[in-house]
Amino acid sequence: MLKDITLGQFFPGKSIVHRLDPRTKLLLLIVYIVALFMAKSWCSYGLVLAFLIAVTCLGRIPFKSMTRGLKPMLVFIIFTAVLNLFYTKTGTLLVDWWIFEIWSDGIITAFFMVMRIMMLVCGTFLLTYTTSPIALTDAMERLMNPLKKLHVPVHELAMMMSIALRFIPTLIEETDKIISAQKARGADFETGSLIRRAKALIPILVPLFVSAFRRADELATAMECRCYHGGEGRTRLKVLHYAFIDLIAFLVGAALLAGVIVLRRFGL
Amino acid sequence: MSNLIKAENLSFTYPAAGERLALPVFENLTLEIAEGSFTAVIGPNGCGKSTLAKHFNAVLLPTGGKVYVAGMDTADEEKLLEIRCQIGMVFQNPDNQIVANVVEEDVAFAPENLGVPSPEIRKRVDDALKTVGMYEYREHAPHLLSGGQKQRIAIAGVLAMQPRCIVLDEPTAMLDPRGREEVISTITRLNREQGITVVLITHHMRETVGADRVIVMHKGGILTDGSPREVFSQVELLRKAGLDVPQTTDLLYSLRGAGWELPLDALTPQECAEAIRDAGSAFLPRGTNTDRPFIPDDAEQRPRQGVPILELKDLTHIYSAGTPFEHTAVSHIDLAFHAGELTGIIGHTGSGKSTLIQHLNGLLKPSSGQVLFQGQDIWKDKQFTHSIRGRVGLVFQYPEYQLFEETCWKDIAFGPKNQGITGDELDARVRRAASFVGISERQLEKSPFDLSGGQKRRVAIAGVIAMEPDVLILDEPTAGLDAAGRDSILENIKAYQQAQNAAVIMVSHSMEEVAELCSRLIVMNKGCVAMDGAPAEVFTHVEELTEMGLSVPQVTSVFARLRAMGLDLPADVYTVRYAVARLQERKEGRPC
Repeated sequence: MLKDITLGQFFPGKSIVHRLDPRTKLLLLIVYIVALFMAKSWCSYGLVLAFLIAVTCLGRIPFKSMTRGLKPMLVFIIFTAVLNLFYTKTGTLLVDWWIFEIWSDGIITAFFMVMRIMMLVCGTFLLTYTTSPIALTDAMERLMNPLKKLHVPVHELAMMMSIALRFIPTLIEETDKIISAQKARGADFETGSLIRRAKALIPILVPLFVSAFRRADELATAMECRCYHGGEGRTRLKVLHYAFIDLIAFLVGAALLAGVIVLRRFGL
Repeated sequence: MSNLIKAENLSFTYPAAGERLALPVFENLTLEIAEGSFTAVIGPNGCGKSTLAKHFNAVLLPTGGKVYVAGMDTADEEKLLEIRCQIGMVFQNPDNQIVANVVEEDVAFAPENLGVPSPEIRKRVDDALKTVGMYEYREHAPHLLSGGQKQRIAIAGVLAMQPRCIVLDEPTAMLDPRGREEVISTITRLNREQGITVVLITHHMRETVGADRVIVMHKGGILTDGSPREVFSQVELLRKAGLDVPQTTDLLYSLRGAGWELPLDALTPQECAEAIRDAGSAFLPRGTNTDRPFIPDDAEQRPRQGVPILELKDLTHIYSAGTPFEHTAVSHIDLAFHAGELTGIIGHTGSGKSTLIQHLNGLLKPSSGQVLFQGQDIWKDKQFTHSIRGRVGLVFQYPEYQLFEETCWKDIAFGPKNQGITGDELDARVRRAASFVGISERQLEKSPFDLSGGQKRRVAIAGVIAMEPDVLILDEPTAGLDAAGRDSILENIKAYQQAQNAAVIMVSHSMEEVAELCSRLIVMNKGCVAMDGAPAEVFTHVEELTEMGLSVPQVTSVFARLRAMGLDLPADVYTVRYAVARLQERKEGRPC
């Protein structure tokens, strides 16, 4: 049951988007997010959406997997929509029933907010769908490299992240196993009051923590045995190189941002 | 040959922690490992073999004495990385030593740490992966691979350091027979073809047969040390230390006890068969034996009457139905289990046995078909499904990882408490269950996390037994235990079965184990029941079993070889006791 979670799932491929340097993609995502938050009008939203759709097509990512990724966000999206729908009180009054009032601007704001969240999530998915987690942490480490001068433990953070990503599926599998085992001993996780249900989690959480610590301990020894001694003097199997397509990607990104800024200037 | 590793008067004591006192693991141990050799280290749990291995690459430093690796003192910090490059380590749990989530990135981890230039890393990674036969999997995610494949990745990760020696600490303990075979043949090849020194720590006597040298450790000292033939000839000494001998040695030893003149150092089934043929040439009859498989009368017939306690009718289970990951785990299974029956289920990983047993207590719902408990569908209503969990006890693999309470008493009480049992009855149940598995009153008050591995497992099994189920299912209850631990758990299981007249179903990878214990065997293959019958019957199908990637007990294959040599011997031999009896009959000229 827990196996259905798609967290940062990576779809290996050979498209242009896949081949971009992960640093480029990461920076492009930031540019995209800035553009998305600066967008104010139908035109600018349209421009950002066009960019999103274009990249999705270039990356050969099926639209279905994008919408599937949105599913867990559904409650949050609806909540935002409702909140914006009822709390914006400008424009013309359309519906006035009991304590509910819906204004024309409310509909527009709600629509834009929902679009913004969905596009934000989709943009992030696009990055994780086309970039392997290891390339991503590598890119983060490289991009944050200047922070090392400020004694930020950049390498350690990147290492922690990639190990976390590595162990998520293992721990999910383990959780499934522990749940089954406690169920076999008659544990009941589905009925009873909230407190009872919270208490019922103890037989799952304690073994899970014990096992996570054991794993951490063994992993640390195994890493030590393979000569791990921090980031000092480490080389990489795959060295990141900016290529010509990265330059093009940067130009497209700059054009997107410039477009949104110009549109905003003209109040569009 | 020069010595690659040298331990001189090695002493080591774990520091005191909490309530635990400082515990000397070994004192004045002197040991040398020759370059290019293949050394197996065996010994019961807690004898110090893993601790010793960790001294070979300076993960642990001696508290007394010295360890030298290729002339370098392991206590010399300057040489630390150089030592670790020379001596690669592979551990028991394949999951806990893989760092990256892409195979090739993981193999690259060590050379990356060593600052090897990128093109050179690429070459080393490709070479290492090709050596272990995992090159095609270089872009896979490790968590989707089988245990044997993961262990080969771990070996490749070590090879990428270009070590002179690989130390493997029970690398096969968590694998199925197929995975074991993969790992052992890989390391044997590394030793023979590339001249890499191998130190293999193991519980499986079969795996030590290919070694040049076997070191037996006991209570922090070396009990005996020599070639496999020399070591395994000392049957009494090994038994006293709580260790197994290969079944072939056991057979020869028992026959010698019955007055046969046999050498003890025939290790492979072929050698063993030849030795028996030569020793018995005067009286072993020639010809083809066409006897029907002998079925002991206490098995098979007796319990198979009346309404079965559990019955599967046309059971099929499909995982992730309707998605691209759809996968049929078991299909159209019809089986019945009766009270008092001791059934073994064998089959390699992926044959559907785990899926099958999770249907028996309603953890999984059949995609189609029925599971009947005493004739009633266990899914007929929610309450009944829930109550089934107490009637059909399921002990998962490595059950000790599910312990969670402050004391053993509370942990054992968890199951019966969920059934609604309280007060004196609960206490009585806990104590009864504890006594079945040999957990003392004093241990009941202790935290389960303070116990040894074998004891934890007993507590976990007691936690299921305390529900006093009519059917007890155990998934590999003896995995990772040493011979003494294994034997006593198997005895506990048998004792429970007899006391409660329960139906016991045991999943196992060890043919010797099920052959010894069970009255009925079910062989699973590709989601179907391939064979079902008394062990004597099942083990006559040597070829079919081998084809499915399963092995037969060593005595069975010794007898198969003797028959192939043209001797008139029965094919249904699967335990040492029975084999000796059959051979004795021939010797004394009695017909069988």
